Amino acid sequence: MGTATGIIKALNSGVKHLAVKRFTLRYPEQKLKFVGDGYQFDPTTGVGIAGYKGRHMLFHDKCTGCQLCAIACEGVAEAIGMVKVQEEWKHNKKAIMPQIDYGKCVFCGLCVDACPFYALYMTNDYELSSFTKEALIYTPAQLQVKPYVQQDAEIIFDARGATHG
Amino acid sequence: MATQLPPGLQLEKLDERIMTLNVGPQHPGSGHMRLIIKVDGDYIVSCDPDPGYVHRGEEKMAEYRNYIQNIPHLERPVIHDSCNILYPYCLGVEELLGLEVPERAQYLRVIASELNRCVYIQYWLAIYGIFLGHSTMFMWPAGDRELLIDLLEKITGARVTHAYFVPGGIRNDVPANFEDMCLKRVNYFEKRIKEYAAIFYDNPILISRTRGAGVLSREDAIRLGTTGSTLRASGVDFDLRKKEPYDAYGELDVHSDVLKDGDSYARSKIPWLDMFESCNIIRQALQKMPKSGSVRVKLKPNPKGGNDEVYKRVESGRGSLGCYIVSRSKPEPYRVKLSVGSFRNLICMPYLLKGEKLGNMPAVYWSLNYWPVEADR
Ligand code: SF4
Ligand code: SF4
Repeated sequence: MGTATGIIKALNSGVKHLAVKRFTLRYPEQKLKFVGDGYQFDPTTGVGIAGYKGRHMLFHDKCTGCQLCAIACEGVAEAIGMVKVQEEWKHNKKAIMPQIDYGKCVFCGLCVDACPFYALYMTNDYELSSFTKEALIYTPAQLQVKPYVQQDAEIIFDARGATHG
Repeated sequence: MATQLPPGLQLEKLDERIMTLNVGPQHPGSGHMRLIIKVDGDYIVSCDPDPGYVHRGEEKMAEYRNYIQNIPHLERPVIHDSCNILYPYCLGVEELLGLEVPERAQYLRVIASELNRCVYIQYWLAIYGIFLGHSTMFMWPAGDRELLIDLLEKITGARVTHAYFVPGGIRNDVPANFEDMCLKRVNYFEKRIKEYAAIFYDNPILISRTRGAGVLSREDAIRLGTTGSTLRASGVDFDLRKKEPYDAYGELDVHSDVLKDGDSYARSKIPWLDMFESCNIIRQALQKMPKSGSVRVKLKPNPKGGNDEVYKRVESGRGSLGCYIVSRSKPEPYRVKLSVGSFRNLICMPYLLKGEKLGNMPAVYWSLNYWPVEADR
């Protein structure tokens, strides 16, 4: 193949792309869709359930304050600290629950794997930025809230290429 | 005064013609490392790579954490190839603890590591393209790799740092319509990477720039201990997926490509051909995979290995990646040593750059498939 043909072919290949659909997610307006409700774990079988590893969610009615999640995180990021809560539960005599520092958390999900009481799950929420360091520390009360996550875009394939809907 | 500085820090002229240049470590096309280059006019007379700027002490850190807690930090050296860097560690720990990985998990591991290899190679290709001044080759791979990142995110829950492999299998089973989704994306991905040929690999401008640059002969490639795409571009057919099949690779057909030239062009073409092979492997694995079954062996809390040591290696995006684990009957490993492809390919750089033009430095340097963070660990 001669040099000129090669260059023309290369240019042609670029020009053809004008007809290919744009593959860009217009982020704040559009947000990606996830499978399921976030990463969860089933301690009886020892296998997780596929989902996005985002901000955690803590079920106060299940947490016994056993600290296993904090021990698991100790070797990873030391993001979990156990704090006192002003709640009375029969199963949680010490009244302590995990508090997570998202300035340290690496979203590995090992704490979810460690919890034997189905009390700690992960959600699809990934928008955690804040203006102060302190606001990154989520107390048990904040972790209890199920976040609303907008999910409207998914990759679609058609004759003119792949797009984000 | 300059003579009192440590060697390599001087910027003075060594003699009338030769001048020392520091390339890096602020990443002007060097990665997070420094190349001490001596030039005579436009020609490089010697090159002394100086890695170590992003050393994180991964191996030491591994001695203070138990076998499971080591997973998230051991994948940090190459976050965009995180499944492959965890692979030898998991294989090693499985042998230490005597675990049998379920068959479905073996296939899913193969699929995840091949997807991850494609993600890695696309990233590398984007960088290779932009350092040769080909900005289209930066945009296309960076966009197309999003398809597979999105797929991996659906399986593992994270875009790059998956923490998916675990001694004894994988963390979670795949979502419901995974096979369909995976096949669709891999087929489209393959169609896309075919289009790179006209604009990049058959482009006469690229060919004239990289053909004959930094030629590594077959004998030198073996003597200097290179691995992965650098070795296969020099005509040595060595692929661990074929030579020492691990997990489900034994049941799959793997054909890795070999080129004879050993120049920068051949070294950059091998990873591209590897992506087609990865697509083939994924399709085979999807067919042969058991449709259901367990994916993870249940471990005791704080599993202990015996007084034992293992060495396991796998084929990563950058070549053979080995992990040597010594256990002394404790929940933590006594020693973990990673032998990475990046560092082994770095060794041949001074030989390749000698006599090259300074402007060709990025073309040779990035073709080595070298990743500074992985080399420093
Ligand atoms: S996800 Fe990982 S880093 Fe984050 S709190 Fe849990 S164990 Fe710690
Ligand atoms: S979240 Fe789970 S592991 Fe953590 S203290 Fe509560 S019950 Fe224990």
